Amino acid sequence: MAVSKPKLMVVGNGMVGHHFIEQVCSLGLNKIFDVHVFGEEPRPAYDRVQLSKYFETGSADPLMLTSAKDYQDWGITLHLNTMITAIDTATKTITNAEGQHYVYEQLVLATGSFPFVPPINGNDRDQCLVYRTIEDLQAIQAAAANSKVGVVVGGGLLGLEAANAMKQLGVKTHVVEFAPQLMPVQLNDKAGELLCSKIEQLGVSVHTSKATTAIIDGESALHRMTFNDESFLETDMIVFSAGIRPQDQLARVSNINIGERGGIEIDNWCLTSAPDVYAIGECALWQQKIFGLVAPGYQMARVAASHIASSVTDTKAQTFTGADMSTKLKLLGVDVAAIGASRGFDNAQFVELSDNQTGIYKKLWLDESGTLLKGAVLIGDNSDYSRLLDLYLSQDEITGSAVELLLAGAENEADLKDTSIVCSCHQVTKGDIVDAVKAGSHKMAEIKSCTRAASGCGGCAPVVQKIIDQTLQAEGVDFNAGICAHFDHDRQALYHLCQVEGISDFTTLITQHGKPSANGLHYGCDICKPAAASIFASLKNQYVLNQDSGHVQLQDTNDAYLGNIQKDGTYSIVPRVAGGEITPAKLIAMGQIAQEYDLYTKITGGQRIDMFGATLSQLPEIWQKLIDAGFETGHAYGKSLRTVKSCVGSTWCRYGVQDSVGFAIDLENRYKGLRSPHKLKFAVSGCTRECAEAQSKDIGIIATDKGWNLYVAGNGGMRPRHGDLFATDLSTEELYQYIDRILMFYVKTADKLQRTSTWMESLDGGLAYLKSVVIDDALGINAALEQQMNHIVATYQCEWKTSLEQPAFLARFNEFVNPNEAPMSDASVYQRVREQRFPNIKDAGAGTIAIKDITEQQTTADEVVA
Amino acid sequence: MSWINVCEETNLPIGTGVAAWVAGKAVAIFNLGKDGLYAIDNVDPATGVSLLARGLICEMDGDLCVASPLYKQHYRLTTGVCIEDSSLIASPFDIKTEQGQVLVLAKV
Repeated sequence: MAVSKPKLMVVGNGMVGHHFIEQVCSLGLNKIFDVHVFGEEPRPAYDRVQLSKYFETGSADPLMLTSAKDYQDWGITLHLNTMITAIDTATKTITNAEGQHYVYEQLVLATGSFPFVPPINGNDRDQCLVYRTIEDLQAIQAAAANSKVGVVVGGGLLGLEAANAMKQLGVKTHVVEFAPQLMPVQLNDKAGELLCSKIEQLGVSVHTSKATTAIIDGESALHRMTFNDESFLETDMIVFSAGIRPQDQLARVSNINIGERGGIEIDNWCLTSAPDVYAIGECALWQQKIFGLVAPGYQMARVAASHIASSVTDTKAQTFTGADMSTKLKLLGVDVAAIGASRGFDNAQFVELSDNQTGIYKKLWLDESGTLLKGAVLIGDNSDYSRLLDLYLSQDEITGSAVELLLAGAENEADLKDTSIVCSCHQVTKGDIVDAVKAGSHKMAEIKSCTRAASGCGGCAPVVQKIIDQTLQAEGVDFNAGICAHFDHDRQALYHLCQVEGISDFTTLITQHGKPSANGLHYGCDICKPAAASIFASLKNQYVLNQDSGHVQLQDTNDAYLGNIQKDGTYSIVPRVAGGEITPAKLIAMGQIAQEYDLYTKITGGQRIDMFGATLSQLPEIWQKLIDAGFETGHAYGKSLRTVKSCVGSTWCRYGVQDSVGFAIDLENRYKGLRSPHKLKFAVSGCTRECAEAQSKDIGIIATDKGWNLYVAGNGGMRPRHGDLFATDLSTEELYQYIDRILMFYVKTADKLQRTSTWMESLDGGLAYLKSVVIDDALGINAALEQQMNHIVATYQCEWKTSLEQPAFLARFNEFVNPNEAPMSDASVYQRVREQRFPNIKDAGAGTIAIKDITEQQTTADEVVA
Repeated sequence: MSWINVCEETNLPIGTGVAAWVAGKAVAIFNLGKDGLYAIDNVDPATGVSLLARGLICEMDGDLCVASPLYKQHYRLTTGVCIEDSSLIASPFDIKTEQGQVLVLAKV
């Protein structure tokens, strides 16, 4: 036998038990003690707080906090599937269900809790379940597979989590709560009411003030639940989530002191009534209080570990002095937070904000003097949480009016003090994170592993990310250069790689230069794929929907179907009308086509005609007719040249000094089809009156009596900017040469989705630098830039013409792969207004849905803005 | 619940989606070649518009997803749960191939 070390036995391998082991290892106690851990479940510790993630990913892997290998590496013996049934505190021995004995020097009980199932007749029927372990989730999943309706008993925090899981499994979900409101422990009545209405909007039915009296056979479903008010509810499955009870059975049978209402009594060092036996987490009762959150459990784990360490090393033990029960979470997609005395108290002052329009409710409870924050409840928007929690924990006096706290918004979240706790699960301060960043941990994953921040409930992750970003910025570190999680390169670097290495397919790009996922997938995302597609097109100018090269899989929403998607899923069609010049015959042809398909028509700001409401399967037919009438694609769907707007010019206008229309048509025909980092708009004015508004365009040209003045990097739309005068009195040839070089240099160096205006401002040296490159050839690249533009011009194709030449490919535009089975489209979803057809969709507008980045939303509407 | 034959396997281009009509419901089918076939509700739960089959296939943190063409929410192909907002779910359908035919399990 090996030299025997003192034995440290831990019963329970849940989140708190595991945290205790982490403390043991960080204190080096695993070198001093022979540590054994006993867990009842078949797997080591996992994240119970985010249990419903199991249904999002369909796997337990993302929940795992550790592995058997970790324990092995730490030299700790992990006994899974093992239940400890007795403790003999006199002989200091524990016994497992199979009768094996283990002697301990120190024993830690981290047995957690079990779900409370109300004593109702019938609570043990089939498909009556609880929500606590991964095995419970598997049972819920199995029951959901043959259930249409499900009920969660309990409208508290856990109950609503369970309801979310049930809803995710496609079961019509009801929540039954005994109290008159949801989350009665944390929320005041008004907050509970708002939460209730929000959850009902999501399709979950809430029944409050209902006590279940029995569960019997149902008529339309497996069960019928009868209630104290004589009503009933029929359901196929029931999940009890009506609170937790401390798992104190082992201590109880071993004559360790238990509280009157359960829980293993502990002192400030987490010691129980038995010598050298500790209890931590949800099984422990401290000053008659059970702490049902993970953060207090972690604090107890630290205290117990430090106390054990103090007995064998020269260290000082910490004490447990209670814990803050504030919490922030997303329940069924609704933000909810409660801080301190969130339900108020006698003589409390308060300020309250209630916005029914946006569904936000906030109430702050203050002390009698109105200067100290004692509690808060937030529904619908908990972005203030960190700031308010900090104010609550520090008990700093509120400066100014308390009502301002409700309106200050979240922008100052990262302006916390260095001593402020950011991660309450692991007690990590802002200062800890800043120090770790300065010491070289720049990524979220690194910060998580070295400070533990954001690795508990994860609620603080956005704030942690902000602190990382801010610190890196303050340190002057070039961070986040990668365009997305799959590449560490920015667009310019990717462009360069593709050009130099001749890469023209995404698989090569991501396998050679990107970061496939941990499980070996190399799909990229909606950021890097369209960026790569644009780069390939700028370099080679191949057909964008090419299937053999896989380019069709990379195209963003509009490019993917060569049309501009609208809110109802139909498309708008914009044929090219170069320079805004159109013959009456073509105008009539377009009108006839629009009439035939009942398309809504509107003149765009770019002097073209937009036709809305074409279904996917109509696109090829409509385009065939347009092409037969002499039209070609207008690339309104692409990040490419849209239009060259023009005024009438010297041919008709009595003030015009140059033929602006003729030149606009020539320009449009030269640069049409050029794929660029973002869309491009040009305009040509025939005199200084500037009727074409050329100074608001990426490329603006204004006639002079000696030639043309060239303006660059103007913008309209969301962020207007007047173009800068680049060169004056140019000949037509010089103008083409300069525009070739400017555009190709933009294509080569701009970031993804960066318009020319922001691109030029971002160039070191700005306009002067751009002039030196384009006019003086400071980089010696002009010949190459021109050559590349000539290649693009020479390889132009109308993408619709190419598509229509491949009948097999047109299957892509079928609404359904089995169209014979599908019903005819429903005309009732349209309404007629001002003699035209409009979609009749409610709530599908951008106004009701959070938009990630408005500049990425390319509809033809922004052509109208131009 | 019964398996509905929607098309031949060769009708499913690799790396993109197609919609199929399955017993009164539009279903988005994604053929990821060696990484398998997936089927979820074609209706985007964020907008109620039937178009998820037209979305871009993405990999987010190891999960295969489709990005909705309208507002770019990401739905997992395995479970249909939206990454940005887990209350949005495009419910998944069971899908398999038999003798070159693609079969989807109808939910009625």
